Amino acid sequence: MMELSSSFIAMGYIMVIAITVGAIAALLQKDLIRAAFLSGAESIALAFFFQALLAPDLGLTQAIVGTVLLPGIIILGIFKTRRTEED
Amino acid sequence: MTTIPSNLWSIPLIVAIPLLAAIVVNALYDKRAIRYISIISALLTLGISIISPYGYHWFTGHPAFDPTTFTFTFDPGIPGFRLSLEFFFGPMQQIMIVISSLILVFCVIMATSGLTKHQGPYLAMIFLLFASAAIIIMVNDLYHLWIAVEIGSLIVVGVVVGSGTSISHKAALKYAYFSAICGSGLAIALALLLGITGFPNVSDVVRVINIFGVGGMETILYISFGFFILSWMYAGGLAPLHPLKSEVYGASYPHATAVLQAQSKLMLVAIGIIMLRIFGTLPFVKEVMIFLSIITMMLGVVIALLQIDFRWIIAYLIISHSGLVTLGIALGTKEGIIGGIFQAVNDIIYMSVLLFCCEALYYFGGATSTRGSFGIAKKSPWLCAAVLLGAFAASGIPPFNGFQSEIILIQASINAGFPEIAVIILMVSVTTLIALLRAIYRIFLKPPENEVAANAQIPKSITIGTWLFIILTIIIGVYPDIALRFIVPFVEGGFLP
Amino acid sequence: MIEVTIQLLGFIAAALLLIIGIAGMVFLDNIIKKIIAFTLLSDGVNILLVAIGYIEGGVVPILLPGMSTVEFTTHAALVFPVGIVLTNIVIGVSTTAILVALAIMLYRRYGTLKASVVLKGERR
Repeated sequence: MMELSSSFIAMGYIMVIAITVGAIAALLQKDLIRAAFLSGAESIALAFFFQALLAPDLGLTQAIVGTVLLPGIIILGIFKTRRTEED
Repeated sequence: MTTIPSNLWSIPLIVAIPLLAAIVVNALYDKRAIRYISIISALLTLGISIISPYGYHWFTGHPAFDPTTFTFTFDPGIPGFRLSLEFFFGPMQQIMIVISSLILVFCVIMATSGLTKHQGPYLAMIFLLFASAAIIIMVNDLYHLWIAVEIGSLIVVGVVVGSGTSISHKAALKYAYFSAICGSGLAIALALLLGITGFPNVSDVVRVINIFGVGGMETILYISFGFFILSWMYAGGLAPLHPLKSEVYGASYPHATAVLQAQSKLMLVAIGIIMLRIFGTLPFVKEVMIFLSIITMMLGVVIALLQIDFRWIIAYLIISHSGLVTLGIALGTKEGIIGGIFQAVNDIIYMSVLLFCCEALYYFGGATSTRGSFGIAKKSPWLCAAVLLGAFAASGIPPFNGFQSEIILIQASINAGFPEIAVIILMVSVTTLIALLRAIYRIFLKPPENEVAANAQIPKSITIGTWLFIILTIIIGVYPDIALRFIVPFVEGGFLP
Repeated sequence: MIEVTIQLLGFIAAALLLIIGIAGMVFLDNIIKKIIAFTLLSDGVNILLVAIGYIEGGVVPILLPGMSTVEFTTHAALVFPVGIVLTNIVIGVSTTAILVALAIMLYRRYGTLKASVVLKGERR
């Protein structure tokens, strides 16, 4: 039991770092499509975190919605407008 | 009144009929079918809210837990822990929902008799707006409170886009951004309250805080209160965020604004009372709420004086009079809360009169600017009379209903030890009269210089709606007990039985 | 020294995401970037809610065979935040869709995605 919880905490550290790096990297991109995909990567880390916080059903939902649906909507918007950020 | 059943049949219908109407109307293309279905469902909602008995509806079917005998019960008379999400339909909820659904009926008739192109989705948005208003006034748990605020603000965005100008698109985008931020804030407030007390039900939260205390977590309670205030400000259009809501009012069609203002006044009353119940015992809470209301009242009425368009004057006056509603609730005394809710009822009625008259001006070629003089009084004297009566009601002149609620508010603020606030209320009503009369003189009474459409036909629905609401203002103004007998039991009985 | 638990890490992640999201929505100029920042903000709220419902040494709130009711009620994590978060995910998707639709409409009119240009006041 002890082993399991310590491994969870190690996973938690990695996930916090992955979420933060993914979020900041998504907001710093000039290419908007890349930003959308990076926010999807952040969502995968978040889904694992939900798993660790005893909510596996939310993990499944977040994995689908955050990696497919939300970036899909945003990319649809990007195709209808423009791909790069103006100065 | 005597029996208070749980799982009342009418509460799901009041919410579900507008939702079903929205779904059906959205899928239709035939204009006449849309018109008949929407009018029938609006009338059905009105009828159900009139004949419904009072009681609870408990979602999830969990019984209440009685801590004195350690048993479970379905009897709402026992003050136990409710453990479930619940709606309550009482006298105050009844009068609010009846008046909003009356506005919904006329709004639907007006929307289907011209002006808009994409009628199906637009009417669906209006029905959803009403549904969110009905939910928020009946709600007694944090979960549905949050959902109603979020859905309500998304639907406001949809209704504003429906009028299709570039100003409305901008207003919609700004409002959507702020609803995204403030809705998340309300979710955080809910999460913090849930973390402190462990209950989603507002009655349970209040009971836990009053009985067991918060155990050194006052700071977290204050953070939660801050997020509540933020969502209160944007949902009702209070002072620092008032440009958002006033642009929403000014940029949508007047008939939609009638439902929008009813919805935001219902939100102000509902969230304000829930805030008062949860945080009312903390120091500085009422002071913050009073400060916000005073700023809103004064800013709204001053900016209304500077406007040059009748629609925008009404938009800022709605903001200013929302301040009167919140002031009554923020005073926290029984008299003040009665005055605030009564002011909300009156406000919804007389602002609808003004907005319906503004809608009628669209049939004279959109003559709402105060720059030009159109001489509409000569072409339509009855419309001129109606808008003058509406302006008198809005500024609290005795035979109308605005007077009755403002006198209660003035007495309440003097009794609560703030005679300055009474002066501010008087100033607001006088300035309202000046702003409205200036616009009415320019648009209606001044001899015409500009050409307007010669034989404009105002639809009968607008005339009937305007005069019905004017009769309501006079009836409530002469016999205020008609409205007060719904509101007083709610406040005297400690908000819930 | 505070003992590091997975709940504390959840709160830290929530705080970071909330700060990044709010900062992105306020300071970035591109409308699409603002929308991406909103999805991050919504994720932060979700993880805060789930972390509040977490119980140290608890179990997933699913009643498995062979588990007594007493054991379940004392050990299971709170279910209510899960319901809220599911709703919040759905509301987040619909808000994002509405924001993207409005951004497309305004781009067609103004030809730019810069919020400082698009949302500038207009004489009425």
